[in-house]
Amino acid sequence: MFKRLLSLFRVLTRRRDFEEGMSEELRFHIEQYTDDLVRSGMSREKAARMIRAELGSPINIKADCREAFGVHFFDEFRRQLSYAARLLRKTPAFTATALLTLAVCFGANLTIFAVIDSVLLRPLPFPEPDRLTMIFNTYPKAGVDRDGSSLTNYYERRGRIPAFASLSIYGYGTEIVGEPGSTERLQTMRVSPDFFSTLGLGPAIGRTFTDEETTSETNHVAILSDTFWRQRYNADPNVIGKQIRVNSVPRTVIGVLPPAFRFLSSDARVFLPLAARLEDRAPSRRHSGGNVIQMIARLQPDATLAQAQSEIDAQNEALEVDDPQAKMIADAGFRSLVVPLRADHVAAVRPTLLLLEAGVLVLLLIGAVNLVNLLLIRASGRVKELAVRQALGAGWRYLVSEVVVETTLLTFAGGLLGLAIGAGGIQLLRGLGADRLPLGSRIVFDARLALVALVAAIIMGIVFAVPVACFHLRRHLGNALQSESRGGTSGHGAQILRHSFIVSQIALAFILLAGAGLLGLSLQRVMAISPGFQSDHVLTGQILLPWADYSEAGRLKFVESLMDKLDHLPGVLSAGVVNNVPFSGNSGKSAATVAGHVRRPGESARGHYSYGVAGDYFRAMGFSLRAGRFLTADDSRRSARVCVVDEDFARYYWPHASAIGQGLWDGSEAGKDAEAFTIVGVVGGVKQAGLTESEAHGAIYYPYAFRIGDSVFVAVRTSLPPESFALTLQKVVRQIDADVPVSDLRSMDTRIADSLVARRSPALLAGLFSGIALLLTSIGTYGVLSYAVAQRRREIGLRMALGAQPGQIRSEFFYLSLRLLAGGVILGVIGAWLTGQAMQAVLFHVPAFNPAILAGAVFVMALVSLIACLLPSQRAARISPMETLAEE
Amino acid sequence: MDKAAELLPGTLDMLILKAVSLKPLHGYGVLLRIRQISKDALEIPQGSLYPALYRLEHHGLITAEWGQSENNRRAKYYTLTAAGRRRLREETAGWNRLASAIAAALNTTSEEV
Repeated sequence: MFKRLLSLFRVLTRRRDFEEGMSEELRFHIEQYTDDLVRSGMSREKAARMIRAELGSPINIKADCREAFGVHFFDEFRRQLSYAARLLRKTPAFTATALLTLAVCFGANLTIFAVIDSVLLRPLPFPEPDRLTMIFNTYPKAGVDRDGSSLTNYYERRGRIPAFASLSIYGYGTEIVGEPGSTERLQTMRVSPDFFSTLGLGPAIGRTFTDEETTSETNHVAILSDTFWRQRYNADPNVIGKQIRVNSVPRTVIGVLPPAFRFLSSDARVFLPLAARLEDRAPSRRHSGGNVIQMIARLQPDATLAQAQSEIDAQNEALEVDDPQAKMIADAGFRSLVVPLRADHVAAVRPTLLLLEAGVLVLLLIGAVNLVNLLLIRASGRVKELAVRQALGAGWRYLVSEVVVETTLLTFAGGLLGLAIGAGGIQLLRGLGADRLPLGSRIVFDARLALVALVAAIIMGIVFAVPVACFHLRRHLGNALQSESRGGTSGHGAQILRHSFIVSQIALAFILLAGAGLLGLSLQRVMAISPGFQSDHVLTGQILLPWADYSEAGRLKFVESLMDKLDHLPGVLSAGVVNNVPFSGNSGKSAATVAGHVRRPGESARGHYSYGVAGDYFRAMGFSLRAGRFLTADDSRRSARVCVVDEDFARYYWPHASAIGQGLWDGSEAGKDAEAFTIVGVVGGVKQAGLTESEAHGAIYYPYAFRIGDSVFVAVRTSLPPESFALTLQKVVRQIDADVPVSDLRSMDTRIADSLVARRSPALLAGLFSGIALLLTSIGTYGVLSYAVAQRRREIGLRMALGAQPGQIRSEFFYLSLRLLAGGVILGVIGAWLTGQAMQAVLFHVPAFNPAILAGAVFVMALVSLIACLLPSQRAARISPMETLAEE
Repeated sequence: MDKAAELLPGTLDMLILKAVSLKPLHGYGVLLRIRQISKDALEIPQGSLYPALYRLEHHGLITAEWGQSENNRRAKYYTLTAAGRRRLREETAGWNRLASAIAAALNTTSEEV
C-alpha cells in the first residue's frame, strides 16, 4: 500500500514527465510497428490504418494508463476545484458572506482554543507530568485554606512516603542580581536539591544542588535558566565555575537548565538552594508554612493519589501525637492535601476558560447553521442545472464529490482567513491579560494550532456537503425538471428545515447574549463593592532590601529616610510604608493571641492579615478611623508596643465592647505581659486579596520595627495624577541607595482594575461573541426570508393580481419572522437559564434567572431579527403582479 | 492472424511478466516477444498492453527505465523486479494446475465415469 502511494506521489510530482513519457512510448510503438509492416511490404497508408484498428485511440489508452496509477482522481479533483472556484466567483455576495462567517468563527475558536490548549491541555514540559502532585497544609476552621508546606514537613516526609518516588520543596522570590552598578531585579526560585529530579528535568550543563549546599554557609551556588544564560553570558559553554552576585553575595554557577525548562508560570532566571537553619527544620516549626514554601512530589509509577493522601494522613496523625499544639492544630481542621500539580495550578481559571470555549463553540454552531442554510438556498437555485446534468448521465458519485469539493474549498479558504483572525485574536487576548493566566505565557500561535484549524476546516467542509448532497440526490429527477421550469415552490420539508435552523440560531444567539449579560452584571456588582479605602491618587511600589546589605537597623534607617524625603516633596499629601498593600497579589496571614480571650470549643488560633506599617500609611491609603488613633511615625520606632486592628478583628473578639486598650500577642500563644501589644486604634475593614473576598479575616497593623521583612511597599498619596509621580519616587529611592530599584509601580486604582481582569476580560469576550452571533443570526434570517420571497414571487404576484394588498403580504412575512423569533426566544430562555446555572461558579451574586437580563436579550434579539426581516418583506410587498406573470 | 486465439481474461499480465522475465523489453518488444514465444498463436489486444504495463509498474512488479532501442531511438525498457519474479512463479504454478485439471476433465471418457 505504502509503495503504491509512493509511486503515485512520484508521478504526481513529475506529472509532465509522465505525460510526455506516455506520448513518446506510444509514438515509438506506432513508428516501430509501421516500419516493421512497411518492411514486410505493406503500404504506409494501409499500415497506419491497420495499427489504428489494432491499437485503438491513443487518448483512451492514455486515460487507461493514468487510471492504472490512480492519477485520474487528481485530474478530476483539479477539474472540480476549478469548477467550484468558478461557481463561487460567480456569486460574490454569497462567497463573501460565507468566507467572512467562517473566518470569524474559526478565528474566534482558534483564539480561545489556543488558550485552552496551553492552559488546560498541553502537558507540562516534564516527563510523565501526570505523576506530579502538589501538597499543601490547610487549616479550614482557622480561616486558612492554604498555607503551603513547612521545611519540617519536607524533612519529615522526604523518603518516608512510599507512594512518592521523589518529594521536594521550593519557594518563589525576587533577587537583585549582578555587579554593583549593573544590577537587575530578577525572579528567582529557591529549591531543595531533589527539585529537579522530582520534575524529571535537570540542568543541561553542570549539576544540581546537593544536600551539603542547604545551609547558609554552603549555599553559595546557583543554577541559571537558559534564557538568562543566553542573555547574560552569550550562551558561554564555560560558564560553570564563574561567579555571579545575587543580593551582593558572590555565588558559583554550577549548572544551566535546558531551554524547555519552565516550572508552571514562573519566569525564574536564577535558581538557588533552599537553605535553612537546623532549628527551622525542628518539629515545633511544622506549621510555619505561610505559603512561603510549596511542596511538590512525583508519584511512584503504580501509586495513586488516594494512596499518597492516606499515607500523608497517617504520617501526620503519627507525628501530631507528641505535638504540644496538637489540640489546637486538630481544632483548626488541619490536613495536608495531595492534589494533581497542573490541575491545581489552573483550577481558578478553568471554569471561566471552559465557559468561553462553550461560547465560541456556540458561535461556531451558529455560523455552521447559517452556512448550511445559505448553501441549501444556493443549492436549490442550481437544482435545474444538476437535474439536466444528471439526465445527461453525470453519476451521483461525481455530483457528490463535486459538492464536497465546493464546500471544502469554501471552508478551507475560510479556515485560512480564520488563521489570520486567530493570530490577531491571540494578540487581542494578550492585551486583555491572557499571558497573566496560569501557564498563560505558553499561549502561542504555532504550526500545530494551524494544522488543527485546517483539519477542522476540511472536516467541516465534508460535514457541510452532507445536507447539500442529500438535497440534490433526494430530488426526483423529472420532478425537478418540471417544477423548477415554472419557478415553483420548494419542498415543504426543506422549508421546515430552513426555518428550524433559524429558530435554533436565534436560540443560540439568545443564550450567548444572556450569558454575556450575566457576566456583565456580575462584573458590575463586583465593581460596586468598596475596597474599604480611598483608592484614588495613591501610587504604590515594592522595594526589596537584600539581607546581605541591610541589617534590621539598616532597614529601619532606610524606611525612615525614605519617609523623611517623601514628606518634604511637593505634591505629596502623605506617605507610608507597609509589608504588603492590598491587591498586591500576595497576602500573608499569621496567628495572633488575644489577651483574655478564651477559645470556644473547636476554635483554633486564627490567621489574620498581619502587617508592619511606618510613616503615615493609613492616611496615605485613605483608611477610615473607627476609634482611637492611627499609628504615627513615633510608633514606628521600637519604643511602644502598640497596634491598630480593623473592625472585623475588633468585632470578632469584642462584639459588645471597645477594642481600645486591649492587649494581644503576635503568635499563636500568649506571651509575657511586657510583650503584649496594646490596641490604640480601630480602622475600617479593607479588602486585602480582592473585591470579592467574602470572609472577614481581620487585620492587625504593628509598628514596622516589629515586622521587618526584606520587602516593603511604599504608598504615596499625591495631589497630582499618581502615575505622574512614579519617576520622582524612583529617583528618591535611588538617592538613598542607587542599587535598590522600585518595582511593581502601580496606582491603587490600577491594582483594583488589574484584580478584575479575570472578570472583565471574559465579559468583554462574551460581549464580542454575542455581537458576532447577532450579526450572523441577522444574516441568516435575512437570507432565508429573501429566499422565501424570491421563491414565492410568482404566487405573490398572482395573489396581488387577484386583489391582495401589499400590506397583507408584508404582514405575512412579518408574522413569519415573528413566529421564528418566538420559537427561538422560548428555546433561548430555557437555554439561558440552564447556562446561568452552569455559570454560577464564575458569577458573583447573580442568580441564573435574571428577568432584566432576559428582557434585555429579548429586546435586542427582537430588534435584530425584525430589522433582518424588514428588507425582504418590503421587497415582497413591492412585487409587481404584471412583471411576475409576464416572466412565464 | 486468423489462427491466433483470444486471450483469456487475466492472462495478459502473466504473459507480460513472462516476456519481461527473459530480457528487459520496451512495450513494442513485449508485443513481439509474446507473439514469438507463443509462435504467433496468441494475439494480445494492443490497446490493453500499455495500461497493463503501467498497472504492473504501479504495483512494483516491473520497473521502467529509459534507454536506447536497437535503432538508436529513446525507448522505455521494462525489467522484472523481485516481487514480479515471485508473482510470475505463483501465476505459472497456478495456471499449470488449472490447465492440467481442465485438460484432465476434458479428456474424461464415458468409461471413466
